[in-house]
Amino acid sequence: MSKRSRINTEIKIGSLLLGTYFVWALSWFFYSYIFEGSFSAPYFPASDIKKELFSPLQEGYLLGTDLYGRSLFQVLSAGLFYSLGIGLTISFLSAGIGIVIGYLSVVGPKSVKAISELVTNLIFIFPSILIAILVMSLTGQSFSGLVFALVVTGWPGYARISRGETLRVMGLTYVESAKAIGVGPFRLFAKIVLPAILPFLLVHIVLGISGVIISEASLGFLGLGGSEYSWGALLSSAKTVLLEAPYMGVVLSLVMAGLIIGLNLVGDGLRDYLDPKS
Amino acid sequence: MEKLIKKFLYSLFTIVLAVSALFFIIRLAPGDPVEKILGAEASAIEISDLRAQLGLDQSLIRQYTNFMMNVLKGEFGESLFKKKTVSSLLSAHMPATVILAFTSISISAFIGTFLGIWAGFKNKKTFDNVGRIVSLFALSFPIFSLAPLLVLIFSIKLNILPVSEWGSFKHVILPTLTLVIPLSSVLMRVSRNKYLEEVNVPWVQVLEAKGLSSIQILLRVTKVCLPTILNVVAIQLSVVLAGTMITETIFDIPGMGMLLFEGIQNRDYPVVQGVIIYSTVIYMLVYFLVDYLNEMIDPRIKS
Repeated sequence: MSKRSRINTEIKIGSLLLGTYFVWALSWFFYSYIFEGSFSAPYFPASDIKKELFSPLQEGYLLGTDLYGRSLFQVLSAGLFYSLGIGLTISFLSAGIGIVIGYLSVVGPKSVKAISELVTNLIFIFPSILIAILVMSLTGQSFSGLVFALVVTGWPGYARISRGETLRVMGLTYVESAKAIGVGPFRLFAKIVLPAILPFLLVHIVLGISGVIISEASLGFLGLGGSEYSWGALLSSAKTVLLEAPYMGVVLSLVMAGLIIGLNLVGDGLRDYLDPKS
Repeated sequence: MEKLIKKFLYSLFTIVLAVSALFFIIRLAPGDPVEKILGAEASAIEISDLRAQLGLDQSLIRQYTNFMMNVLKGEFGESLFKKKTVSSLLSAHMPATVILAFTSISISAFIGTFLGIWAGFKNKKTFDNVGRIVSLFALSFPIFSLAPLLVLIFSIKLNILPVSEWGSFKHVILPTLTLVIPLSSVLMRVSRNKYLEEVNVPWVQVLEAKGLSSIQILLRVTKVCLPTILNVVAIQLSVVLAGTMITETIFDIPGMGMLLFEGIQNRDYPVVQGVIIYSTVIYMLVYFLVDYLNEMIDPRIKS
């Protein structure tokens, strides 16, 4: 079968969903940073206490308003932009660190191997969210603290996968040939090993983004998020008005679930697509 | 046997390292428990008195050696806020979390394995396809969005289950359900994929050629899949420990998660250390048990 026809339904539906969310997030970016506000003073949803907890479609508010009388649609958009931004930043940072450390733990000196294994095990013992909570409560609630907390807990997973994949690739003949003709360590990594291990890692990066979004929202839910527009923080406030405004929790959950479903579908689909057995 | 001892020593070493790392991270980070206890108006003398009383005025190395000696004796000290020993706090908060974690883990292990293997058995048929979609959806609602939705459905709309507090059987249902839904979906996906991986190997074809019924083959393949599934269950335990933290705050359950969360927010060093040491040890023990069980189930793992 040709490669083109193997693009499965999961990837198609998933990319459609993800595409919608990306367009949504980008539109919000333009709206907030260029049309309504500027880069120095971006626009944030205006609060009007008189418009507290409107139900959807009331007075022209598509999804209603939240506790502070902000348009729920705008608050959600700000949260989406934030979640996606943080998901991508943290996933790429941790994947980058993880790939390099995983590679070094195969080809590097013994000391690197031992240390990286020890650190990875240490971080793996604790549930990652506990470390994140600990770091967040120590660094205080800030964007940089959040990135740090989630990268610290995120990279060991990638390091482990990258190590396994590097081990597999290193045994292949073309990599050995490259080494035999004297390709330097940097070139070997960038030109030969990386392209070979990247497709498989991409699956984990895509699934990792949804993991980061969930972790970030969990922290936000516990009051340790990096922004007041964190979906977790919004859900935590929606929880307190579950009786008066059930739509808030439902809308938030559905919007968040949609993004996660999209990411999971694309990740799963990619895995099947790359699987040589299917 | 030698391997077992080696592994045990390595685990012990990791725990000691983890505990030490924790000790220093908490203490070197900004934020002072003494100022939190006494509030902003406390005088300098009051602060230094309390500090001496709590032993926080000693050098860090001194505190560390004292702390390690006490841990060896099984004492985690006294909470800085609650006037109780950490051990008594732990035993007071343990039952709720243990009940919650173990019921949800065992229910999910059972449901997840059963549905997953069955889905793999019915590969690409209706059951498998529906199962894949349902588990994907279930995984896409994180615990903290699932819980309010379940409360909305069962407590507010249908009014059959209580929202919060802890005590009777009815109180256990919603929190357990919140944990079982994502856990069993993960396990279902893992066992389905593992089953499909195992079912095409030569020895299964031999069984088929010998004329065994498909149910008997199913049982034998399931046995081979069990170690992988058990490993995932062990890994999920850490997710549950963290998940209970969120579940406990939502449903107002007096468990370890709540204790830890309060401890972290108040900088209650002894409590945080106690909870984390305790959960790390449990975690290690479970890993050990799972390794042992896996070797019993599939002797190939030993070699």
